[in-house]
Amino acid sequence: MSELIQLDALGPKGPYRTANRRTVTDVSGVPVAELSLVPKLYVERSVAALHKARVMPPEERAAALERAGRAFANETINGLSVEDYQHAVSRVAGMPISVVRAATRSIERAAREAFRGTQRARPEGAVSDWHDPATEHGHAVWTRRGDVFAVLAPGNEPEVHALWLEVLALGYRVAVRPSQREPLTPHRLVTALREADFGADQVVFLPTDHAVADEIIRDADLAMVYGGDSVMRKYSQDARVLPQGPGRSKILLSGDDDWSSHVNTIVDSVSHYGGMACVNTTAVFVEGDPTPVAEAIAERLSAIPSLPPEDAEAVLPVQPLDKAEVMERFLLDHARGTTARLGGDGIVDDLGDGSAVLRPAVFQVDRPDAPQTAIELGFPCVWVAPWSRDDGVEPLKNSLVVTAITRDEALIDGLVNEPTISNVYLGDTPTYWMRPGIPHDSYLADFLMRSKAMIRDGRGSGREGDGDQAGDLYPDAVGPITR
Amino acid sequence: MSNHADPVLDCPVDQTPDPRELIEAAMQWHFDPETGSPFWLERAKTLDFDPCQDVHSFADLRMFPNVVDDLRDVRVEDLIPKGYGPHPEVAGVFESGGTTGPPKRVIMLKDWMDRLMAFTMRDMDSRGDPRDVNWLSLGPSGPHLFGALASWESRLRGGVKFAVDLDPRWVKKCIRDGRIDEADRYAEHLIDQSAFLLETQDIGIMITTPPLLERIARRDRLVELINRKVRVLFWAGAHMDADTRHLLRTEVFPDVDLRGTYASTMVMGGTVERPGLTDGDPWVFDPFSPYISFAVVDPETGVEVAYGERGQVVMNHVSKNMLLPNNLERDLATRIKPLPGTMGDSVADVSPVPVFDNETVIEGVY
Repeated sequence: MSELIQLDALGPKGPYRTANRRTVTDVSGVPVAELSLVPKLYVERSVAALHKARVMPPEERAAALERAGRAFANETINGLSVEDYQHAVSRVAGMPISVVRAATRSIERAAREAFRGTQRARPEGAVSDWHDPATEHGHAVWTRRGDVFAVLAPGNEPEVHALWLEVLALGYRVAVRPSQREPLTPHRLVTALREADFGADQVVFLPTDHAVADEIIRDADLAMVYGGDSVMRKYSQDARVLPQGPGRSKILLSGDDDWSSHVNTIVDSVSHYGGMACVNTTAVFVEGDPTPVAEAIAERLSAIPSLPPEDAEAVLPVQPLDKAEVMERFLLDHARGTTARLGGDGIVDDLGDGSAVLRPAVFQVDRPDAPQTAIELGFPCVWVAPWSRDDGVEPLKNSLVVTAITRDEALIDGLVNEPTISNVYLGDTPTYWMRPGIPHDSYLADFLMRSKAMIRDGRGSGREGDGDQAGDLYPDAVGPITR
Repeated sequence: MSNHADPVLDCPVDQTPDPRELIEAAMQWHFDPETGSPFWLERAKTLDFDPCQDVHSFADLRMFPNVVDDLRDVRVEDLIPKGYGPHPEVAGVFESGGTTGPPKRVIMLKDWMDRLMAFTMRDMDSRGDPRDVNWLSLGPSGPHLFGALASWESRLRGGVKFAVDLDPRWVKKCIRDGRIDEADRYAEHLIDQSAFLLETQDIGIMITTPPLLERIARRDRLVELINRKVRVLFWAGAHMDADTRHLLRTEVFPDVDLRGTYASTMVMGGTVERPGLTDGDPWVFDPFSPYISFAVVDPETGVEVAYGERGQVVMNHVSKNMLLPNNLERDLATRIKPLPGTMGDSVADVSPVPVFDNETVIEGVY
């Protein structure tokens, strides 16, 4: 592309181009876009405008989301056709274009389903609108915990942006601070939302330097922040912040099934999304001898060709060569003492244009609690570990997803009851399985909403002694107050 | 009063001396054992050149070592040229912010203050700034030039100066120690104080710092009061980026003449942004030449960069009061062609030496 794509900030008064712009380059270092970085003052004023904005009625939100999703996946936005957009994301993020295309469709679907999906998280005892007749005699109403939500978004894969659409669906105003690595997707999505009748004061796109990112969180009511362990630690005590950490998804192969029929699912779970997502499998635990499993995974993964990301057949991620080499050194340093089944001599495949494919890696560790099983990297990289029934759930803790190929009911109970495991999939289900309306890491609404008691007309308040429950159950408590 | 001062050093405040004549006269004055300050006469012994013989031009000022670090512990009496006699009229002692260690201090004599004020008044008159309006200084007084200049200026233009004081060193200490909350509460306290004045008093001219101005911008009521009452709003004492400035001018304070200044204790003065700049223009500051002059150099080589290129700012102060040549500031700026008759360069788009955000995230997918 000869002309750089302009990624303006999208504030409450419209697009905003700053003097301070960051060049976004592709994996070969070729400039692709210019991102307007807004100063603190702009962030403050934008978030203040979100606080003052009206709440859109639910049906308007649902309709606008659906329209925006359709436009995102089909129309020319900011001068980019869908194909232009997908090509640019693929080149900038080094993500296989087939993954970008699939993500485009997922975002369209997520936008269509967002409103309905959020309603599935509503407690059975709560209604979504206080006008509901149920509130006349006392009922719970599902209400927002705040007005303005901030997302400090990651840039690893476009589909992460499907999640915060639910926040809009629930009536929050949303400020998206994009990753400087891949700002194209949130820019396109926010533009589409604003063109689909979400007012400019309903959803804003605020690219900033790191120093300003905390201002967005400070000024919003609630925030979601993506990052590694350091980000998790930073925000773990802040009830207003929902940190989204490493996925460390895992597969368990217990001995009561033939593992060889599940190799496809394992390989897919490792390499889908180019291995760049939190739902990609980081470790596989094998009851019995893990060696043949590790070898089979390695054999399958080794057959994947090295291709530039925009090639329709590409499966593996591509990074600038220097970054790829840093990644390789990190991997090999940390893999010491393990047995390499694939990638032991390195994972960098130089494409000759300044970029390099990150080839898959399979390493076998000798204990289920080997620290390597927690190392999640942004390419297909999997640690294969031995596991026995005596080890139980312990090595499977701290996982976004555990796919367990087992018939052991007690073990399944253990996985479902384990608080640090977000999702449990049984049988031949890849760890990346996701559906609108089914929680990704609990329902986001669990964080966004609360139930508020409401009663209208004073009926059933216990004052008339008409046999209401509260009066019957707590006569002493109610009595003195009403007398 | 003064011994053998070249008349060029004492020229009327409404005249601009020839740069070369000023420099040569200043060298004779500061390095003559009869008239020079103990500070410079002592340092002259360590110079490998003779200022009186060798220093004639702006470029020659670069021969001097940067002496500003010595200003952290020298007695201020030793900074006064002996030619002023035993009882020169003093305008004040002023100190740096203390960002980089113990504060540096200078002593400003009345004759220099008069010259600086004449320059400032000329500048304000040329822009049609009001007289006989009250000033509000929301910023440091104490040992800092910031509040003192506002006091002198308001007195000269009529009107009274209201003040809300700020101790910048305490704020810096809080931030350095990670006590961000405390710095935050202190700053909000200052804004609260300024609100009383803005609500009840007629304020026509206001001067504050960029961080405080940004805080004010978050309070709708104060923004409204300032737009209604204040004609000219100066900010000083810290940097402001071009995008913030644009927002402040166009969205927050559209009814106020908002003006940036570029000043340093180490040149005993400062300057206001060039009049008539529009948004696309570089944000230019012209120094009070030839007394205060700027150069823009490559931080690695020390060689002057080309016009339009960015580099680190070198400042000089040359007057009868003081000689502070060749001081490399911790600012980056674009080198700009000076106004005709100016010594050295103008500078634009001044920013702090940047801190790059190049953390290398390897582990994890985010």
